[in-house]
Amino acid sequence: MARRVRGRRLLHRHGHLFLAVLVLLAWSLASNDWAGVLFLPVWVLATQLIVAGSLEAARLRRRAWLGQYLRDDSPWRRWLQGGALMVLRHQLVGALLALVLLVDLRLLPLSEWPLLLAALPLLVVARNGLRRRLSRHVVAEHLPAVTRRLVTLPAAVLLALALVLAALWLPQPWLIGLGWEEAIARHLPGGEGRALLGFFERLAASAELTRQWAMQNAVERFHLATPVAMLGWLVLLLTQGAVAWAYVRLLVGAEALRREGRSPHTVTTGEPAAANDRETRA
Amino acid sequence: MNATGEASHRLDGRAFDPSFRWRGWALSALVVLLLLLVFEASHRVLEARSQASLYRVIVAGESLTLDAETHAAFSRDLTRLAAEAEATLAARMAPWSQARLEQAFALLEAAVPGYLDWYFSLRGSYLRLAMGIAGDQAAWLEAQRHERLIEASGIEPALADLQVDHAARLADEQRAVVEAMSARLLERYAPRRVADAKTQAAPAFDLDSEMQETLPAALDTRRWRSAALGGSGLGLLAGRPLARRLAASAAGQSGRIALRALAARLGAGAARSFASGGTAAAVSAPTGPGALMVGAATTAVGLAGLVGGEFALLKLQETRHRPAFEARLRDGIDEARRDVARSLEGATSAAAARLAEGLESRSEEGKRMPSQARPDHYRILGQLKRPAGSDA
Repeated sequence: MARRVRGRRLLHRHGHLFLAVLVLLAWSLASNDWAGVLFLPVWVLATQLIVAGSLEAARLRRRAWLGQYLRDDSPWRRWLQGGALMVLRHQLVGALLALVLLVDLRLLPLSEWPLLLAALPLLVVARNGLRRRLSRHVVAEHLPAVTRRLVTLPAAVLLALALVLAALWLPQPWLIGLGWEEAIARHLPGGEGRALLGFFERLAASAELTRQWAMQNAVERFHLATPVAMLGWLVLLLTQGAVAWAYVRLLVGAEALRREGRSPHTVTTGEPAAANDRETRA
Repeated sequence: MNATGEASHRLDGRAFDPSFRWRGWALSALVVLLLLLVFEASHRVLEARSQASLYRVIVAGESLTLDAETHAAFSRDLTRLAAEAEATLAARMAPWSQARLEQAFALLEAAVPGYLDWYFSLRGSYLRLAMGIAGDQAAWLEAQRHERLIEASGIEPALADLQVDHAARLADEQRAVVEAMSARLLERYAPRRVADAKTQAAPAFDLDSEMQETLPAALDTRRWRSAALGGSGLGLLAGRPLARRLAASAAGQSGRIALRALAARLGAGAARSFASGGTAAAVSAPTGPGALMVGAATTAVGLAGLVGGEFALLKLQETRHRPAFEARLRDGIDEARRDVARSLEGATSAAAARLAEGLESRSEEGKRMPSQARPDHYRILGQLKRPAGSDA
């Protein structure tokens, strides 16, 4: 009974994260037709989540800067506090990041999904731990935002590293001794001219194939020593870190979007500390 | 500090106003749509600008220029149609070869009563008796069957004619099937051709010539395969005119073999029939020649009586055994006919398979390159460990 209550509370508290990941998972495993149909809504969702997180972080930075350098009565305060221009810029960048994330997720082998799923509870745990530590030092009002901002980078780096390590194990197509065009022609999936999504998928797949082709042939032809080859692979694979970066930002953004709803309440009633404490201990 | 706090509150208040949040979603949708439009437009431009590879296909004498997508669909259709060709060909050949087989084997069946008449005649039974005493009765009976039943019926030339006609008919039907296929492809893809195309550089796939190539190839392989498979068949056929020899097919070979087997099988049936009559072998049957011998050895009976008794006994034997013997013969003939029919079907489906194979390999040549012996996968860690291990 108690366990069920706890489970329900857990679901209630982190349901948005589950939901976001579930949507991504379902969409990336869907058939091509369904993925094409749902591409637009999923893209909007991912964009919105990423933007929510990045806007919050940007506002935090901007506010800190304004508070640091401008006088209280300066009209610049209003002009620079971040308006349409900032929002638009973040929307644009967020949309592009979401696009990269979605297309890469479509190409991600199923065996890497456990890593992404495992990142979810780890992220929550890390955030809670960080918030508990920060609560003694950070103004209560900004505690959640600061925590989210600080947790993003290490989480993304760790996830990227995990993905890279997985990529070291996962099989790649054998491209040694093939010409580049031949490699592309032979291993690029499905030549059917589907809509834009198919085009993006082919683009991403050919970029990945090119990386693998270049590195495989370089290692083989120049007889690179193991450390050098390893370094080369790591550098190449780290470009895949974009997925991890975007994914973590999406999760953090989902968190920000969910907690935003409560923020005005806590701010106006003036008891953010209590609310946040409750959240922290949860 | 207080003012700063207020400013931030104002900020937050604006940012977290519910209507503002929905505006955020709307803005996201707008940005995404905008990006989508831009990408879509550039994708279109890119597609239009890029030298999309065109394929030229010659179908039923008409040259079609297809874009990559249509060509892929065309290849798929061609593969499917070629796969269907076997069933179509079999369906078209079946009634004809069935009728011809009936016709050829009707001759054999017509010869059965004559053979049975000889078998149960006085001369036949005494000859059997004599051969039974001399020893090599089975081989002699087989030769007799061959001479009196098979050769007398004229089924051999009929089957040879059937082979020749079957080969010709098969070629005709194949051509008809292929033409129907071409017509369907043309009908389906003529409206989808690229209108204003410069076809000089387009790689051509000439379906007509491929099919023309495939057809004789199918006939040739069938010929030579039959010669190789038949083995002794060449010797059997050596005396025949060259034209017939060239037209001989697997069907003919196994038809001949089936006839041989038929002679042997009919003999086995006869032996069984006598065994069922009560004794082990035809020689010592209680009636007929056996009775004569017993009679001659033990009692002195008048020749006329002997002959009369023998004739009566023979008639008795005939009435007792002839229906069963005839039924066995007809069963054997039926089986032989099924054998020949099966081998004709085999020839048909082999030809169809050749056709399908040839077309499929031609149409997919561009896509599938011959795979050399190479590993499927490249594992980074495995590959890095390998040279180190070999050095050590």
